[in-house]
Amino acid sequence: MNSLPQELVDAVIDNLPRSSLFSSSLVAKLWRTRSQQRALERIKFLSEDQVDRWYIDFPQDPEGVASYVHVVEFENTTFRGNLATFGCALQNLCSLTTLWVKGMEIPDELPAQIPRMEVWKRITTLRLWFISSTLTTVVSVVLSLPDLEVLSIARATAGLGGPLSSHPVTPPHRTPLDLLELQAYVGGIGRALARSRLTSRHLSLDVDLLGVEQLIMCSSEMLVKLALYGM
Amino acid sequence: MLMDFPDRLAQKIPHHTVLLPALTTLNIDLGKGDPSPRLTSILCSISSAPALGSITIGNDGRFNIGRSSQGPWGDMDRWLARMAEHTKVQGGLSVILRGWPKGKPVCEGFLPDFRRAGGQIKTRVRD
Repeated sequence: MNSLPQELVDAVIDNLPRSSLFSSSLVAKLWRTRSQQRALERIKFLSEDQVDRWYIDFPQDPEGVASYVHVVEFENTTFRGNLATFGCALQNLCSLTTLWVKGMEIPDELPAQIPRMEVWKRITTLRLWFISSTLTTVVSVVLSLPDLEVLSIARATAGLGGPLSSHPVTPPHRTPLDLLELQAYVGGIGRALARSRLTSRHLSLDVDLLGVEQLIMCSSEMLVKLALYGM
Repeated sequence: MLMDFPDRLAQKIPHHTVLLPALTTLNIDLGKGDPSPRLTSILCSISSAPALGSITIGNDGRFNIGRSSQGPWGDMDRWLARMAEHTKVQGGLSVILRGWPKGKPVCEGFLPDFRRAGGQIKTRVRD
């Protein structure tokens, strides 16, 4: 087993189903790292306790297991107003590129925290599903992520209302998103993002949203793909 | 340019129309219904997309095309005709009807203005 070149071992592991990865990590030393990398490529937190445990089990270690995580999902996780826990959970994920938030409240304090944390600068994909928040907070979070490429917002269960108390505007040097996807029931977020002059090469939009025409107009110069649905 | 279009569509064209010079792909998912007035309004805000070679229109139910020169399909037809006239793509503009019933031909009278403008209709049957 140990005579196999590492590239071949990696190729085998890359074709294993996820359910086999913990077993494969025990086959031999050569199998361990790649198996763990794939098994932990995407993790999901379903409670604040799970977040706490992760932070205790895998403290910040740039070369360690936490660095294998590229995608993290927070689902129905309430931080009881403790943004520090949320921040710490993200901070030790030094390879994180995709953040998927489902069924959570986005606190108004988050945008102010983002510039202080390096991890947010690496986020290229942000999915906000079933969230509750205010328009100002969501738009501010989106515009705070300098390298964002994919933004998906769907079915805000409550909120995403209220006036846009300030008018954050996309910095002029910012490159367009690769994909902006706005699904049903997201309140006035489409119009708010259009007012912030966020642009994208690919728009995927529910036609019943407010601001569809404005979003198309904002991106008119670079828009390559347009999907309209939900009639 | 708006004078070339029937009054009904001209009335629906918003004051601010937009040119989409880089648009190559347009997918429209109708769900299980006809094109809605809201959809027509959004489409009419697009004045031209010269790089657009095909438009996919999906329908999960059945295409209820009826008398396509009238009603929601009539509005869609007139907008598609405008897109077909303005396309710069070699071979012209195609509409692909996704979810079309297997074995059912597309009737001659469907999307007449689009056809007259040089557009082609293709079908992709339901899986």
